[in-house]
Amino acid sequence: MRTLLAMAVLGGGVAHTTLAPILRIGDVAPDIPLIVVVLLALRRGPEFGCVAGCMAGLLQDATGGGLIGVQALTKAVVGFTIGALGARLSVGQPLVQVPGLVLLSIAEGLARYALLQLFHFPAPLGPMLGYVVLPQALYNGVLGAALVLALAWYRALREAA
Amino acid sequence: MKIRALVLLGIVAAVCLTLLTLQMRGYAAGASDAVALVTTPIQTALARAGRGAVGVWDTYLDWKRVRADNRRLRAESERLRVEALRVDETLEENKRLRRLLALKEALPFETLSGEVIAREWGGWMRSLTVNRGRGDGVARLTAVIAPEGLVGRVVEARTGASIVQVLTDPASTVGAHVTRTRTPGIVEGDPRSTLRFKYMARDGAGIRVGDLVVTSGHGGLFPRGVPIGRVRAIDDRGSALFHYAHLTPAVDFARIGEVLLLTGEGARDVAGAFASDG
Repeated sequence: MRTLLAMAVLGGGVAHTTLAPILRIGDVAPDIPLIVVVLLALRRGPEFGCVAGCMAGLLQDATGGGLIGVQALTKAVVGFTIGALGARLSVGQPLVQVPGLVLLSIAEGLARYALLQLFHFPAPLGPMLGYVVLPQALYNGVLGAALVLALAWYRALREAA
Repeated sequence: MKIRALVLLGIVAAVCLTLLTLQMRGYAAGASDAVALVTTPIQTALARAGRGAVGVWDTYLDWKRVRADNRRLRAESERLRVEALRVDETLEENKRLRRLLALKEALPFETLSGEVIAREWGGWMRSLTVNRGRGDGVARLTAVIAPEGLVGRVVEARTGASIVQVLTDPASTVGAHVTRTRTPGIVEGDPRSTLRFKYMARDGAGIRVGDLVVTSGHGGLFPRGVPIGRVRAIDDRGSALFHYAHLTPAVDFARIGEVLLLTGEGARDVAGAFASDG
């Protein structure tokens, strides 16, 4: 479990620093660690999701240069929540995956904004939501769904072989 | 849900909030340094991995682009080469036709231009097929010339084409003389695809290599003064009645593409119509 956790966190970090700039559309880049945390939490449950979210967020906080702990907390909550609810959701369908990831990303963004507000973050909510949170949430939804489909296709290929 | 998971979430939240509070109150300078100590090597490694991955990807994209460029440029080069050959060919043809036209205008009688459409180069006979025939007014024994000189005579006139026996045909004979010495003789085709000038020994003492041999006009078949060739070597046969001079033909029969057929009657000396340098 520790190996998987380390691989997931580091893999998400590597993907975030390497793939995200390439995948950038305009000013919008996907939050790849969040997608990784969600996918892992769905399969591994709330504890794993919580720790993976915390580690991935901590890495992003530390490397991003902001307040350390913000993304660690929000991603830990997201990982925990999706891990806890995953068993009850039908997450195999792209029609669920895309809106699900979009909603989760929005929730994570709002939580991050709320947390930062506690520490006197100066930016207003409207522009943050319109220009940062929503576009990124949409991007996360599409990319996450594509990733889920690719994984499912790979699994089907392996089973067929 | 397990209590342990909730406790874990609570611990994580508490740690994070503590970290945030410490940072906001300014107690986190040391902690930041400690975090930096851990994260800097990770960031460096991530950046290197990223650069490596992006570098490999960029190299792949560059390679693909270069390959596509290479393919495109090769096709373009091929096209341009063909285009250049076509232009060269057109220029060459243009030059040939201009010379033919100039000759046609300079000649004092009616002529008909024709294109060589086939060649017979077997050795037993050497001939050209020209795309002018009886329908164009071409008759048997019509003289055929080119801007460089005499080509031969029509030996068979068909409806839309004519067969021209060239001078190098072993059966070809043409009355000729050397312009410088006025030595008369006969130009014969040679089985080796060359020409030889047969003349009487007593008349040919002064013939030299390089002398120009032209048609004599005797017999009325060819006009007088059409270049046939230049003396390349002299075959002195001692006391024999006839001597021979080997000629280099004025016309390159293997390459000639357009000819003039002398269809009309007119003045019989045409030496002035040919560019003569000796």
